[in-house]
Amino acid sequence: MRVKPIVFGALVIAIFFGTIGASMAAGAWQSTGRNSMTGVGGGEGPGSGGTSGSQRVAGSGVGSGDGAGAASVKGWMAIGDVADAAGVDVAEILAAFDLPADTQPSTPLKDLESDAFSVSALRTWLAERGGGPGGSPEDPRAAPSDTTP
Amino acid sequence: MSQAATATTGTVLGPIRRPRRGLAALRGIQGFRRATQADDALVVLGVVVGRSSAIAAGAPGGTVTSGEALCPFGGLETIGTFLAMGGYVPHVHLSNVVLAVAALLVAFFARGAFCGWICPLGFIQDLVAGLASFVRRRIPPVGRAMRALQRRAAPLRFVDRPLRLLKYVVLAWAVLGAAAYGTMVFRGVDPWNALLDLGRETAGLGLLVLGVVLVASLFVDRAWCRYACPLGAATGLVSRFSPVRLERVEAACSSCGACAKACPMGLPVATATMIVSQDCTGCLECVEACPRSGALELRAGLPVAPAITFLPRRAAGASGAADAGVAQS
Repeated sequence: MRVKPIVFGALVIAIFFGTIGASMAAGAWQSTGRNSMTGVGGGEGPGSGGTSGSQRVAGSGVGSGDGAGAASVKGWMAIGDVADAAGVDVAEILAAFDLPADTQPSTPLKDLESDAFSVSALRTWLAERGGGPGGSPEDPRAAPSDTTP
Repeated sequence: MSQAATATTGTVLGPIRRPRRGLAALRGIQGFRRATQADDALVVLGVVVGRSSAIAAGAPGGTVTSGEALCPFGGLETIGTFLAMGGYVPHVHLSNVVLAVAALLVAFFARGAFCGWICPLGFIQDLVAGLASFVRRRIPPVGRAMRALQRRAAPLRFVDRPLRLLKYVVLAWAVLGAAAYGTMVFRGVDPWNALLDLGRETAGLGLLVLGVVLVASLFVDRAWCRYACPLGAATGLVSRFSPVRLERVEAACSSCGACAKACPMGLPVATATMIVSQDCTGCLECVEACPRSGALELRAGLPVAPAITFLPRRAAGASGAADAGVAQS
């Protein structure tokens, strides 16, 4: 079947932008981290962590308690929000990384970066601490790795 | 305007069509394509400028859409993390995944048309190549110098085919590296990311790659797409199964070679009967350049293209007897 060039061009545009439009219509379009954070109800996508856990950094997956939780920690997130989502005290994080004890919970992680602290180091620390943020002791999904044979 | 012609063999050729040149070329399908490319580039530019303005006004970086969020390749880089942990590697959003799906759908239904019609980096390379062509025509000494340079570089043409394999290596490295390390290992050398990040300290090596790509585009059309683009490699692999392909109708073709000369990806279109190369960007420059109406046609139908070959075969000569690589005779 012969395809006219103009039809070919229209097909390209229809498929590409149609897919984007369909995802937007379905609420599956997210192009900023903040959308994740404010996406109460979580369902924007993988790692969203479901709808429970009001103390999570909502929708970001930080409180998911699985491996994606640690990976979901972003530099723009406030240390207090991450601590809440992970179920740890801010003071504990500050102490673990030798950060000033008077650090405000609203401080973005990236503003705290130094030789002793980085977002990736925090991710590793949170993951090792309990299988990822959200790992409150009573949460079986977040059981520490040492319980596994 | 057009006339029928008869070859020495007695075959009736298609009527002659005068190819459009200069601005007149923008009236046809190429105008449609250029408008689409320019539109996409402007959208990305708008996002980049808007983000810079918002951040300058005090908005946190994480709250404003970045140009990176509009790159389909991010969606492919996060596949490993997505499958293993259900999350994304840093700097990737759901928009990247949606765009990756859209690009792969385009690849299936319209071959490499994402590269030829939508990708802003491809558009920038086209602009650079167009500028080089303009300068060559308008400034004769420059034209002579560039032709002399090309003649001197002719013996190096043998590296073209093996170099085309590089993009598959880059694809494997970027996707597997992101899966293994949980970060976008390709990001540091990505010229597109460097362009979006202009003026920021993170651009470094990527800016160097961008500079090399732009300089190379003065001499080789779509240098990045030919040799190193991992997204093009991925869409190319999918395009291999597309039911849409270009076909050269030998009976209507005068074997003038205008199609091959026009192909920005350097495919030997003139000696093929079916253009099914993963490298084809669906730009339709060959169709536009063809002086014989009906000699090059887009067709859709089963069966889909045969097995993947990573390299276009060499041109088989004017007879077009056996050029199954890019195409099949």
